Amino acid sequence: MDAVVDIAVLALLAVTALGTLRIRNLFAVVMLLGIYSLLCAVLWTMLDAVDVAFTEAAVGAGISTVLLLGSLALVGHEEKKPAHRPLLPLFVVLVTGGVLIYGTLDMPPFGQPDNPAHLHVAPRYIEESGHEIGVPNIVTSVLASYRGYDTMGETTVIFTAVVGVLLLLARGPRPRRPWGRDERNGDATDMEPGEERLNG
Amino acid sequence: MLHVALDILSWISILAGLFFILVGTLGVLRMPDIYTRLHAAGMTDTMGAGFMILGMCFQAGLHLLALRLLLVYVFLLFTSPISTHALARAALSGKVEPYRAPFEGGD
Amino acid sequence: MDDRVILRVGTKFLLPYILLFALYVQFHGDYGPGGGFQAGVIFAAGFILYALVYGLGKVKEVLPPLVAYVCSAVGVMIYAGTGVVTILKGGGFLDYNVLLHDPHHGQHWGIFSVEFGVLVTVFGVMVSIFYAFAGRRSP
Repeated sequence: MDAVVDIAVLALLAVTALGTLRIRNLFAVVMLLGIYSLLCAVLWTMLDAVDVAFTEAAVGAGISTVLLLGSLALVGHEEKKPAHRPLLPLFVVLVTGGVLIYGTLDMPPFGQPDNPAHLHVAPRYIEESGHEIGVPNIVTSVLASYRGYDTMGETTVIFTAVVGVLLLLARGPRPRRPWGRDERNGDATDMEPGEERLNG
Repeated sequence: MLHVALDILSWISILAGLFFILVGTLGVLRMPDIYTRLHAAGMTDTMGAGFMILGMCFQAGLHLLALRLLLVYVFLLFTSPISTHALARAALSGKVEPYRAPFEGGD
Repeated sequence: MDDRVILRVGTKFLLPYILLFALYVQFHGDYGPGGGFQAGVIFAAGFILYALVYGLGKVKEVLPPLVAYVCSAVGVMIYAGTGVVTILKGGGFLDYNVLLHDPHHGQHWGIFSVEFGVLVTVFGVMVSIFYAFAGRRSP
């Protein structure tokens, strides 16, 4: 019975991805990406990874959709027609996908308890987390205590991403002019709420 | 005995929720314009999700989980009409014409 | 504007609960799904909802962009600062056992403090990226 739900969700995921690629109206594409993120969250829940599903739903279907809609206001609502047929990229993607699938034929069956991936540090985390750390949620104890360096790296990467975005997109301090508005970068800080481009 | 009764009640609720979601989806696919489609989609949110949450509450029993499910439903009851209203306002200010049935001459 | 009353009243009613839910997710990351990342995103989503309904000017009065930029840096500092505090107390970097009198309490408070750092950073990052995207008009 689980297999049926798995196959259904994966099929919906594939259909949504194909729709995202083929549809030219960018509003519809943004909505389809939100649906894709929701289906991914369902998939993670079915794999018992509830923390990941939570994060995926919040970031993908929430913030990402808002940011994509905000950038849609800047670039227009229709995708341009491609200039040439992408035959070489299609060939490269098919060859890479084929090689990857061939590589997975060598892997041990999914989810077996004596896979090598499950015998290295995972038993230590699962067995010792209770009395070493004392936090009931093993995901949090692995994330914040056993693998604290990795999470610090992750936080630094997020910070670096925002530094990159701000270097490219943010505007500096505006010169104070008592007359007119600063038209340099089209900042909207003094727009009336009704004129918001974001809600257009 | 109580478990069997709760199971039957939750089955009925979840099937009722399923029915409303199916009807709502069919409405979204078949209705002529956006205003009527919003009407159908709103039914999916309130009746469909409501019955499903009721069915899950029966399964949870007298537990904190049932209270959380009811809080989720209250949140849904607040946000779903607001978002439907926002969509309809946006459609109206985007000058989408409501669908008018062709007028048959009276006799 | 009196043509958006429903949106405004609804948002005004729901916003405290969204922020409260973000804090709930943060503090219950020890006992259920949750933690710093999810809580930071939900907290930022509350502010973004306010920006969408009330306008960018109002939300920049409530949360100036400089505060958002500073938040993203301060969060990383809180995280690394926890590691430095553990060094000063004699252990290794991010070794929570030496943080308090007892390893269990040390782990608990160490995890709490780093997750708080992650919350502040993710909140600052999401709001900063939103500010960078939102105020621009098409060239």
